[in-house]
Amino acid sequence: MTKFLRIALAALLIGGVASAQTTLTVGVFEPHQDNLERVLDEFYAAHPDIMLEIRTLGFGDHHDLLVTNLATGSGAADVVVIEIGYIARFIAEGGLRDLSVEPFNADQYEDLFVDYAWAQGRSEDGRQVAMPTDIAPGTMFYRRDVLEASGWTIDQVNASMESYIEYGRHLQEMGVFLIANAAQVADGMIRSDIPAGDGIYFAADGTPQLNSERFLQAARVAKTIRDEGLDAQIGAWSSEWFEGFRQGTNATELSGAWLAGHLANWMAPDTAGLWGASVVPGDTMVSWGGSFWAIPTQTPAAKIDAAWELILFLTTNPEIQLAAFRNIDAFPAMPATYDDPMFSEEMAFLGGQPARELWATVAERIPGVLTHQGDIIAEEIWSSALGEILNEGRDIQAALDEAQMLVTRRIR
Amino acid sequence: MARTQTSESLGWRTRFDKFQRRAAPYVFVSPFFILFAIFGLFPIVFSMYLSLQAWNPIQGLGTMRYVGLENYIWLMEDPWFWRSITNTLWIAFASGIPQHVIAIPLAFALARGISGFRHPLTAAYFLPYITSAVAISLVFQTIFGTQFGALNQALIYLANAPWSAWLFGGLAENLPVNWLGRAPYIKPAIAILVWWQFFGFNVVLYAAGLATIPKDYYEAAEIDGASARQSFFHITLPLLRPMIFFAVTLTIIGNLQLFDQPFILTGGTGGTSQAGMTVAMYLYRTGFEWLEMGTAAAISWLLFLLIGTLTVIHFYFFGRSGLESRD
Amino acid sequence: MRPPATPFKSPAADTRTGRNPVAQFVLYVVLIALALLTLFPFYWMFVLATHTQSSIFSAPPPMWFGEFLDRNYQTLIGRLPFLRNIWNSFYIALMATVTTMFFASLAGFAFAMYEFRFKRALFGLLITSLLIPPLLGIIPYYLIIQYLGWLNTPRALWVPAMASAFGIFLMRQYIASSMPRELLDAGRIDGASEFRIYWSIALPIIRPGLATLGMLTFIGQWNNFLGPLVVLNQRESYTIPVALRTLQGQIQTDWGAILTGTALAVLPLLIIFVFASKQVIEGLVAGSVKG
Repeated sequence: MTKFLRIALAALLIGGVASAQTTLTVGVFEPHQDNLERVLDEFYAAHPDIMLEIRTLGFGDHHDLLVTNLATGSGAADVVVIEIGYIARFIAEGGLRDLSVEPFNADQYEDLFVDYAWAQGRSEDGRQVAMPTDIAPGTMFYRRDVLEASGWTIDQVNASMESYIEYGRHLQEMGVFLIANAAQVADGMIRSDIPAGDGIYFAADGTPQLNSERFLQAARVAKTIRDEGLDAQIGAWSSEWFEGFRQGTNATELSGAWLAGHLANWMAPDTAGLWGASVVPGDTMVSWGGSFWAIPTQTPAAKIDAAWELILFLTTNPEIQLAAFRNIDAFPAMPATYDDPMFSEEMAFLGGQPARELWATVAERIPGVLTHQGDIIAEEIWSSALGEILNEGRDIQAALDEAQMLVTRRIR
Repeated sequence: MARTQTSESLGWRTRFDKFQRRAAPYVFVSPFFILFAIFGLFPIVFSMYLSLQAWNPIQGLGTMRYVGLENYIWLMEDPWFWRSITNTLWIAFASGIPQHVIAIPLAFALARGISGFRHPLTAAYFLPYITSAVAISLVFQTIFGTQFGALNQALIYLANAPWSAWLFGGLAENLPVNWLGRAPYIKPAIAILVWWQFFGFNVVLYAAGLATIPKDYYEAAEIDGASARQSFFHITLPLLRPMIFFAVTLTIIGNLQLFDQPFILTGGTGGTSQAGMTVAMYLYRTGFEWLEMGTAAAISWLLFLLIGTLTVIHFYFFGRSGLESRD
Repeated sequence: MRPPATPFKSPAADTRTGRNPVAQFVLYVVLIALALLTLFPFYWMFVLATHTQSSIFSAPPPMWFGEFLDRNYQTLIGRLPFLRNIWNSFYIALMATVTTMFFASLAGFAFAMYEFRFKRALFGLLITSLLIPPLLGIIPYYLIIQYLGWLNTPRALWVPAMASAFGIFLMRQYIASSMPRELLDAGRIDGASEFRIYWSIALPIIRPGLATLGMLTFIGQWNNFLGPLVVLNQRESYTIPVALRTLQGQIQTDWGAILTGTALAVLPLLIIFVFASKQVIEGLVAGSVKG
């Protein structure tokens, strides 16, 4: 009998401990996993009662799955990350908790964040649906060794789009490609000179902009690069693309600052020290990515406190914001961190350049870009039109007029 | 079974026995029809209803809105829908026709050209048909790789090796081919995979068809001095017609619904410029990625219409002769 | 409708043997080469499953087995609850197989052995249902499963597959050609109930046909992709094909792990096929050739 009691007591105790422990599932796309895993210990130290289970998917799959999970009201992780291209759509369609109300009261944190990032996570009727975690100043990565061999300086290269292309012509003689894919140049250009208040693909009033001069010009420049044979014609995120970074066959790449994290962590770690970062040619300040944290409506009430703790830890804790910056080059959405000594640190991967300072300058000058729920489909339509222009020799105006029509139809 | 029964229970038993005998066939077939009503018939009716609605499931069933034929009209004017139709037809023909052109002589060769190893060879050709299309497509994704894929490696070898350069040398300047990255190559890549996965199935179908041709025909032809080629064209092909008709029907229906292979090879997107997006994939993306359930239902009906039309055309042109020559 | 001929007992075969050995040799070379070409992707899949990502992406690619199978497998189960996914695939395929074997043979028995009102109409309906493209009902199927609260559960997949029209057709043909009517009457004289006759007399006779149906059902369910893709959206509930698909979409894809997964997905079918290829092939052909 006493034995039985002892067992029962033990079972009760174990049960009691287990119930005090909340297990949170966290749904992320790469490379957020790389960062989460490195800040886990710190989180556990502060929250011994919460266990995290990280679920990683590819970028597209993560968001597509979230769409279906929110639609069916089941299957979503308890805390999810959402990329900027999808944020407006998730806000419009619903399925995420309003963080402005009890028990979250997120509005008190508004001042911590870059204005436009905060606004992008907010619905038109004033619900804060997502907490910004990183923003993405656009940047140009370049191979220092190639630059040196060419006899050019970086200021000459990025002075203007014309000089950038001229650099490409020079590289051609050396047998090096300017960039993996001309489309990246166009993607950089559509992100610059966006009229105040507009988004990348949509004007403030919701009209698609795909056949505007900004897009036409971007396509023209990309086509020049392609027609002159200055790009390697390699699609982003293909194994050939990774290989190009490892081999140094491409002299530059345009992207968000976050690409440095990919490069250093797994894509081309052996090329450490060979890279440099500068502004996008033409001294343009562009924003290229960014992500948010949110809690699905379907997350059980018992878990929302823990979920919120995790989000606050990741978004409002300057230490952790900086850790993400260090780990995966996710640029903090929190300006208070920008005077941290880390910003002036020399980055070994970038040849000792204190590139974070540069990115901070860009970040501070990026105009707020409006997001639209059609962003992700517009992006697909734009890149497929650009593909036809570059690969199939389709007329620029015709291709972009059709793209404009397609986007207009899609957002009916 | 020995039983002792009172007359009263006998009456009850007889009545029950009669009843169970009469009811048995209905009870036995009922599971299928019940399931069919729920998961077969009702979805069809409901999808017709749904195709006349505008509806996003996130907002719940109550937000369904009747829009008449709007979804259909919208699709008729939709370039991506037409692109998916031409993609589907392209892949269906490019993979379908070679399937039969190769399977018929192959079945003939297996049945009449060789004396042993008939079954192991047939089994080898057939194996891809029973393997998971997803698994196979993932393997083919590595085969189609630009720099390191087996197909390009083989082509590069063939283009440069002295014994094969006369035939493949012309390819050299286009190699390596970016099969899955460049729009013009995506459809051929999918077609190669589909061809590979299904030709063996047709070989087996035609082997079954050949087995029904009486051997006296061949013997008579041989006595008359006919060559193997002549008996193939004058005996096998004409008598195989019903089977050809049938096998082609299966190919049409199957190929027009192609989903798994293009979905995996293009990573679920349809590939560059949607060059590999089939109607089935467009249907999936519309419904489950863009959550336009009404439009997706309309696509399914238009696809059904396309399958129906092509089958009817096929019946009209080849069906009569195909069925007539059937005993 | 007549029972389909089997492809391997061709009456026309064997008549040309011994003629022109050179031609026959050439023919063998061609046929064997084609067979090897067909089998190559399977071979390569197993080879790549034993290599690391970096040796898979090297030129020339590996053609012989490496030693990283275990490492790849560890990566696989680290990224996915893969054992759970295998179990899901197995459970769904098994439930569908057992229920289909039972319900399809039962209905096939009724269609083959009984005369009853509406029999022709019902059988016609059954055959017609085979012609409906499955894609037509995919959206409502998803909505029904959601309505029933079956999303992310195995029964969302095996319950609708419990009695396939294909299986019933196959069983009807098989029973009609292998079970004499007299056995039915004999059973009745013995006082057996109709179900008893099915269970004790018909089932033992049709065992080989039933085994074929079982294998075909298992293979079909094991390979199913679109259905699970639509109704399973939680990784614990994934079947193998859907699970592998999620690895494919990642940029840091580990192809060694993916191919280890595909090899595991293909292996059970290869085993079935090695032992019963004739039965599988004949069954599938019989099912497609509707007489």
